Amino acid sequence: MANRFQTTIRESTDLIETGLQLIDGLFRQVRSAWRPEPDNDVAVDASGPRNVDGAVSELSNRITRLSTMTALEDVPSMWREVLEDSRSCFSEVEGPRGLGFGAEVALSSGMLATQQVLRGLSSHYTSPDGAFGTFVINVLEVFDDAHVYATLQYRELLERYRQRLERNPGDGAARMELARTLIKCGLYHEAIRELEMARGDARIRAQALHELSVASFRAGRFTDAGTYAREAMELNGSHVRTRLLLWLAAQKGNGYAPDVPAGMRMQLRSGQQPTLLRLEDMASRIGLDKTSGGRGTAVFDYDGDGYLDVLVAAAHGGCTLYKNNGDGTFSDASISSGMDTCLTAFITAIGDYDNDGNPDIFVTRNGFFSGGCSLYRNNGDGTFTDVTEGSGLDGWGPAFTASWVDYDGDGRLDLYVAFNLGSLFERKTKNRLFHNNGDGTFTDVTDAAGLVTSWPTIGSCWGDYDNDGRPDLFVSNSLGRSQLFHNNGDGTFTEVGREAGIDMYGLGSICYFIDYDNDGWLDIVQNVWSDSEDVIHTMQNGDGPPDGQPIRVWRNNRDGTFSQRSRELGITGCWGSMSGNAGDLNNDGYQEIILGNGSPRMERVEPLTILESDGRKFHDVTFTAGLPITGKSHGVNLADLHGDGRMSLLVASGGAYPGDLLTVGAFCPKERVGHYLNIRLVGTRSNRSAIGARVKIEAGGRDQHRLVSGGSQFGCLPFEQHFGLGPVTQSIDAIEIWWPSGLRQRIAGPIAANNTIRITEGDDRFEDVYKPRGVRVGGGRQLELA
Amino acid sequence: MAAEERAEQRIGTVLPDVTLATVTPPHDSWRLHEAAGKSRGALLVIWSSVCSHCARYDEYMNAFASNHPEITMVAVASRQGETEDEVRKAMEARRLSFPVLYDTGSAVARQLFTQQTPRVFLVDADSRLVYRGAIDNFKYAEDTEYEAYLEPAIKSLLAGEPVARPDTPSFGCAIASVYYTIPRPLKKA
Repeated sequence: MANRFQTTIRESTDLIETGLQLIDGLFRQVRSAWRPEPDNDVAVDASGPRNVDGAVSELSNRITRLSTMTALEDVPSMWREVLEDSRSCFSEVEGPRGLGFGAEVALSSGMLATQQVLRGLSSHYTSPDGAFGTFVINVLEVFDDAHVYATLQYRELLERYRQRLERNPGDGAARMELARTLIKCGLYHEAIRELEMARGDARIRAQALHELSVASFRAGRFTDAGTYAREAMELNGSHVRTRLLLWLAAQKGNGYAPDVPAGMRMQLRSGQQPTLLRLEDMASRIGLDKTSGGRGTAVFDYDGDGYLDVLVAAAHGGCTLYKNNGDGTFSDASISSGMDTCLTAFITAIGDYDNDGNPDIFVTRNGFFSGGCSLYRNNGDGTFTDVTEGSGLDGWGPAFTASWVDYDGDGRLDLYVAFNLGSLFERKTKNRLFHNNGDGTFTDVTDAAGLVTSWPTIGSCWGDYDNDGRPDLFVSNSLGRSQLFHNNGDGTFTEVGREAGIDMYGLGSICYFIDYDNDGWLDIVQNVWSDSEDVIHTMQNGDGPPDGQPIRVWRNNRDGTFSQRSRELGITGCWGSMSGNAGDLNNDGYQEIILGNGSPRMERVEPLTILESDGRKFHDVTFTAGLPITGKSHGVNLADLHGDGRMSLLVASGGAYPGDLLTVGAFCPKERVGHYLNIRLVGTRSNRSAIGARVKIEAGGRDQHRLVSGGSQFGCLPFEQHFGLGPVTQSIDAIEIWWPSGLRQRIAGPIAANNTIRITEGDDRFEDVYKPRGVRVGGGRQLELA
Repeated sequence: MAAEERAEQRIGTVLPDVTLATVTPPHDSWRLHEAAGKSRGALLVIWSSVCSHCARYDEYMNAFASNHPEITMVAVASRQGETEDEVRKAMEARRLSFPVLYDTGSAVARQLFTQQTPRVFLVDADSRLVYRGAIDNFKYAEDTEYEAYLEPAIKSLLAGEPVARPDTPSFGCAIASVYYTIPRPLKKA
């Protein structure tokens, strides 16, 4: 139940936000009176803070980290470290250290505080009643840990806890944190040893037993995990996270032990709706079974042999490039291609930026921590070359999603990169739009384009929502309001989120444009994140709690506005949906929505969710379709990997911590249900990848619409568009393509189903991809120029 | 870089004669060809003391010598920036009993086209490569989906039979990472 204070805050959100933004603007104006804003807003780069803003942020982060790892009695000695950190953080900042400098530090601190309060306001607004405190603690841990693990400081952290324990062996809190850190590092057996000692302390016994269950589960000791969870529940029967651990351990073994009381058990009710879909994990049989740190995937034909290959980024290593052998299996081509040297990539975006017919790769790095993006040019001989240097794309920061788009219709792919927060107290690194100059270089045109974003961003996607022929931009912010930018057609954009009714607060993650109702108007799916309790509630009940946050499906009202339709569409579950994609898995003509779920915490294990569409509603068929509890599911991708009309569901599982390791999953339908047609496009006047093209097919008395997306999110979909036709329809009446160049092309049928065809812009013929029979012409054609 | 310049050693070819010293006293020199020739074969595990993927095989590697006395096994500590002292500390803390060689500058890892740990190389007595890749499918023995990769390869080697699956995908912690180059702690005043 919300208290009066919470209610007041929520009801006054708009007012408070306006006030805070005014304060922020005032601070900026005062400061700019004697020092203009830096040209580049990257305040902290690889070499450390470069200006006052960066130094203030870095110092705040360091103090936070110190506070979380220091015992209360050690606080006096902590101040020495704070002073040392202060000197270190400001050592590279230029300028005299006079009164003006002090004032600038004060103003910078004020601006940072204002931004933090704004983010807090957004989080508070979207957190379930009473869960805000837990949310803040989780955020603190995630951002602290991102720094600690990315820079390998966990060894120092372990040492600190050990030193605390040497001084005071009875410090249960230190032992607990030591054990939790060991679990995150994958040192489960050492963690178990520490926790066995910690459980002797009655004050922390329940928590120690819970962590013992986590460590044992992670170590593959499922029987022990169940025993510990049960003991923990005997002390704290309301701990739903422990209840889930007990259930998970039982699932891995032979079910609950007979003497587990009914009050400790849970029943899985999510994912049980009926479906004809039957999936099986083929990863280890077809050679796609490496571990992954749960990052991005991409499906594309890198070597031009027609078969779809797979790229998987990795949290703790280089990318893996799997070459499709054309016989149902894959070979690891990471080393021969050079992509093994693309280390710690986060998200991969595929696009042929130089229009040479060979798709290239852009990667971001480590979206919860700063890193450098990279551009890899496809050499056309099975290898890639890092061409980042000199390309203008070598920006530093917490880049998250990236997407290729030809926003100005010049036939060349431009690039949009969205930036999250790289640390708890970081200032927003602006999202960037890079214009492709056509000579292998790019120019940052963000400011000129008017793409102002002030919230931390995770998701970003492009689609022409108003059908004016120009791609527009939707931005899904992680702590703040969503934004919609209308493309004005002159290189500039206008933010219309509020007018479109889409600027809701939220813990937004990835997003994508999709015409889920096949009405010819692009809708938007926006994933949002939920905490453990809501996820477990969903698993137990099939629905999330009433105040929970299911993903948002924004229906296009065809008048420039959107309506949120999730609950009307039957989407009521609340998951930690960071990744996701859509595609027609069951070939019925309606696209399924796939949710890749998870969160960094080591205790968090949840399913990948399949929401199957019947054209009216979505149904959670995860487990009836045959999926296991996949754990943390990032890099969700959908592709007809075998070219036989069966869409496979790829997932790069795993989490951010070094110890959170899972293998890639490749879930393929056991048999094809329904007929299909795959369409690949080759742009000539448009960009070669045909990113931004809209494809409509007319078949079986209905239309289906697809968008060739250049958005990667965590799973960069293949450019190939897959259309399911159902069990009856075996031919297509017509195909219509609306190319990014403006050309509208219609190929009249009948066109036989159950095939993969390639269509070149402006050419009314098409050719088979897998069974070459020469180019063919449809039953008629209409070409018209826009 | 052209594809042929980055070609890995083929299964069945003789691996280069790796020569390294152990991290623990008396820092004996160890040679692959010599070790393999003295037994039925040798197993190199490209490894790191701070790699969480490697840590899950501590028990397996500790027991390897007694389970497979016919095969000489060594771990090769190849991670960039990892010191011999850190390796020794980890061996002591985790009670690791198998020999660990120190791969200065990750030279051996590079020679074997390996970017991540752990990755195993099983050779026969003539130092011919018979298996390369992961130890298993990254599940645990208690898991019904568990599948061993290395153990069947060893069994085939000892039986004088060809290895059914001689090359498996392997993956783990990066031997070199862009993040290791971030100055830490930041430059002091």
